[in-house]
Amino acid sequence: MGTVTKPLTILVVDDTPADVTQLEAVARRLGHELIVASDGIEAIRKYRSTSPDLVFMDITLPGMDGIEAARQMRALPCERWVPIVFFAAPDSMAGILRGLEAGGDDYLVKPADLQVIRAKINAYARALALQDESRRYARELAAWRDDAEEQSQLGQYIIGRLLDSAGLRDPMVQWLNTPAQSFSGDLVCASRGPGDILYVMLADAAGHGLSAALTALPLTQVFHGMVAKGFPIHTIAEELNGKLKAFLPIDRFVAASLVALDTRNQTIEIWNGGNPDVLFINDQGEVAMRWPSRHPPLGILPPALFSGATEVVNYQNSGEMVLFSDGIIEAENPDGQRLNMSGLEALLAQAPKDGRLRAIETGVARQLAGRLEHDDLSAIVVKVPIERRHTLRTNQAAATASDPHTSEWRMDLSWGPEELRTMDVVPALLGFMGQIKGLQSHQGQLFLILAELFNNALDHGVLGLDSRTKNQEGGFERYLEEREGHLNDLRDGRIDMAFHLHPHDGRTVLDIQIRDSGRGFDWAAFLNASDEDQGLYLAHGRGIRLVRNLCDELAYGDNGNVVFARYAL
Amino acid sequence: MLITEKIDDNTARLSLDGRFDFHSHRDFRSAYDAVLARPEIHQIAIDFGRVDYLDSSALGMLLLLREKAEAGNKKVKLTNLTGSVKQVLEIANFGKLFTIE
Repeated sequence: MGTVTKPLTILVVDDTPADVTQLEAVARRLGHELIVASDGIEAIRKYRSTSPDLVFMDITLPGMDGIEAARQMRALPCERWVPIVFFAAPDSMAGILRGLEAGGDDYLVKPADLQVIRAKINAYARALALQDESRRYARELAAWRDDAEEQSQLGQYIIGRLLDSAGLRDPMVQWLNTPAQSFSGDLVCASRGPGDILYVMLADAAGHGLSAALTALPLTQVFHGMVAKGFPIHTIAEELNGKLKAFLPIDRFVAASLVALDTRNQTIEIWNGGNPDVLFINDQGEVAMRWPSRHPPLGILPPALFSGATEVVNYQNSGEMVLFSDGIIEAENPDGQRLNMSGLEALLAQAPKDGRLRAIETGVARQLAGRLEHDDLSAIVVKVPIERRHTLRTNQAAATASDPHTSEWRMDLSWGPEELRTMDVVPALLGFMGQIKGLQSHQGQLFLILAELFNNALDHGVLGLDSRTKNQEGGFERYLEEREGHLNDLRDGRIDMAFHLHPHDGRTVLDIQIRDSGRGFDWAAFLNASDEDQGLYLAHGRGIRLVRNLCDELAYGDNGNVVFARYAL
Repeated sequence: MLITEKIDDNTARLSLDGRFDFHSHRDFRSAYDAVLARPEIHQIAIDFGRVDYLDSSALGMLLLLREKAEAGNKKVKLTNLTGSVKQVLEIANFGKLFTIE
């Protein structure tokens, strides 16, 4: 027996000196300590003051008898088991029974044999040692659980803070994220980029609980940081993948879908790696478009093999985007039947227009029928409006004529084919301008102006694309295809940009000039065309019209391959 | 999950039977470690014909196998994919990572 016994404190309650002496001799030889009481009252007093490990109790005692004393001992509050062994007369079966009923554990018949006494004491010493051991384990376990509980609470607090963002309170976004355990391995993120583009991400880390939550955690900061700088989705996906690949062990990965909704240009751009289909539900509740997973999840492929290739559509009708994790469609009813994509689509079709998230929530709850989900559940519903506006939702930059900057600076940049092919030029510029104090509050406006003018210079100037393609049936997709092809084949071509911040007429203005190496276009006809000329307006003019609204001046020069914009701070 | 092994020339076929999830971790690893250790084996075929469920940790185990097999210059092939197993592997685009038959 491996249990280590320790010296016991034994309380002997007996008014017969000979019996006490006999027991004392055996106990002391075994290394235990003996405390003696000669009646019930004294027994209880000593029991309380010495906390013995084991009690030998005579039944017949003067005053309070042993049975009553045992009963009172058992009534005392106690966290451990203190065995009580009765001394009984050989003919007193009734006494033995009463003693055991009163809380006794065992009995010895008087006069007890020395060997038997020794064996009993040894047996109880072993049992008590086992009790000590299990009490120690229980204490350790409780301490461990308290510690785990505390860490879990702290973890939930910190992760909750890291995951929260103002974007999740965007009026166009509704979401849910219900963990299977205290931590969710699903992640929902929403954020507005410069120029008002709404980015959302739904990520689902392999597994669940804390390890899955930790797996997905690196994504949030990267997502928000890159969205704020106006990076396109493919670059964000590449960066997220690179981060996870660097941080995660081989068998961990994160399925993710990323959506950028540009309501001004009525485009939806999507990257889906490993998540169920992303859906576009029209106002009639039908699935009008779906984007299945086209890529392996994030964190598996090395950067050289990873593809951030997105799908872009130009939508013509309002509706809602629905993103969700596989836990939603894999929710099982008590018969093991899954909700499935068809079940989810039926829920969405029946739901009122503004109640689709709620419909998913209640539908999944009905499917689970009160049982706990065994996977994390998350969903995002994004309103996709049709709005014909040509101004920014964010505040127009207030004229700051009363507080002109006195500083002046210039910056000239020139981009060749290699840079034009591989760099995100506008976010890079914006990142730089974000460092300049006076320009910080104008980031949204500057993004729109730069993105529009730069993309025009690249698409129509350097790449020679005709934006009228976009107006034809399926033209938007063909336009993007052509653009990608031309960009990949780009061997020469150049875009020069000049920035000049200076005081002008008592105000501070930023002059932007962009020159491309393309053939130019008939800018006079374009600028003179009426707003009602919808064909031209839709083809090209929407962005330019916005730039004209934002700028004090907008002028083309040469063949139309130079554009000048003056933006007042 | 039950795993049976069959060697055919230089191909080891591991046939899986049952739920392939995080409980299968130890069994699956010891099964593929055993065949990866054999120099005459050039290819490992995982047969999913009798797998009725596959979760994300099973996908993780396949990625581990792929990593180890590549390190030993061996190929991994996924075969007999049907129903929900096929669907899970398709959504994860594992066809871009493994040979699928």
